[in-house]
Amino acid sequence: MKILKQAIACCLFFAVGFQQAEAKPISFAKGSTVMLEYGGGTMIEAQAFYAPKYWWSAGVGAIEFDLADNSTQERVTYVRFNGLAKRWNLPAAQANVFVWGGVGQARSNAFSGSEMAWNYGAQIDYETRRVYSSLRTDWQDADSFKHHTNTLQLGLAPYEHDYDTLATWVVLQARTYDRPLYDGVETALLLRFFKNGTWVEAGITNDKKLQAMAMFNF
Amino acid sequence: MKTVSKFVLAITFLVLPVFAQAKTIEMEVNGLVCAFCAQGIEKTMRKFPATEDVVVSLENKLVAISLKNGQDISDTQLKKAITDAGYTMVGIKRSEKTIGDIRTKVKS
Repeated sequence: MKILKQAIACCLFFAVGFQQAEAKPISFAKGSTVMLEYGGGTMIEAQAFYAPKYWWSAGVGAIEFDLADNSTQERVTYVRFNGLAKRWNLPAAQANVFVWGGVGQARSNAFSGSEMAWNYGAQIDYETRRVYSSLRTDWQDADSFKHHTNTLQLGLAPYEHDYDTLATWVVLQARTYDRPLYDGVETALLLRFFKNGTWVEAGITNDKKLQAMAMFNF
Repeated sequence: MKTVSKFVLAITFLVLPVFAQAKTIEMEVNGLVCAFCAQGIEKTMRKFPATEDVVVSLENKLVAISLKNGQDISDTQLKKAITDAGYTMVGIKRSEKTIGDIRTKVKS
């Protein structure tokens, strides 16, 4: 985990608050996705998925939580399946419903040995070339802990990107967590850029913590 | 004279299909709003042996392919490829336009 932290810290410049990947969990048919997130003081996560078809992907991930008490760490390594439950392709918009689930192994300095941990969640999103909206719910469920986050994102593009141009988005995010992680509603203002197969995102929370995420499709 | 006429007619029927061969195929596609997600369409289209070049335009809801000389891809194959990429094809047309013309038009 130490090597993972160092590798991600080298890739991402900013210390960040708690965040999970908000982009779609499936790239495209026969495509691979690598996602890296760094949460300074709260969370670090790395994921890698492969999508044989446009409607499902599978892969592995590792996540570490640092609780608000600043003394408890929980680590989960997992395998996960992502599915596209429904898509609407409209003339100038797309809407999706994603679901995911998986199983892993959890370790912590709060208990000895390891425990089985289930992860599951769902996301619904709607976007045009100007407006992005998504609502996501995420669970990490072990015997010794159960973390649940809900995330709402609303994004606006200052200009409409095209296929081979840089996309720029300003995204407002509101998130609730279970209390051991964070008490209350965290809001964040994020700046998102993507072009070709690279997506980077960075922002600041109401607690003045920086957040960042990088994702690569290939 | 009759033999010559038949000969000219035969040659015409042989030559016409070559001149009538479409250079490009333009597809109107729904759901094209995110370039990051649409990468798969270009990759899929480039896998066809008959594909020379591909243009994707979100603004125009367009996926265009230029074909190699004398080669073609059926409408059925193209519709399946777009569907398998997670999108919906709602229109298709073939023309003599070059891919360069289409690229210039979408960038203007």
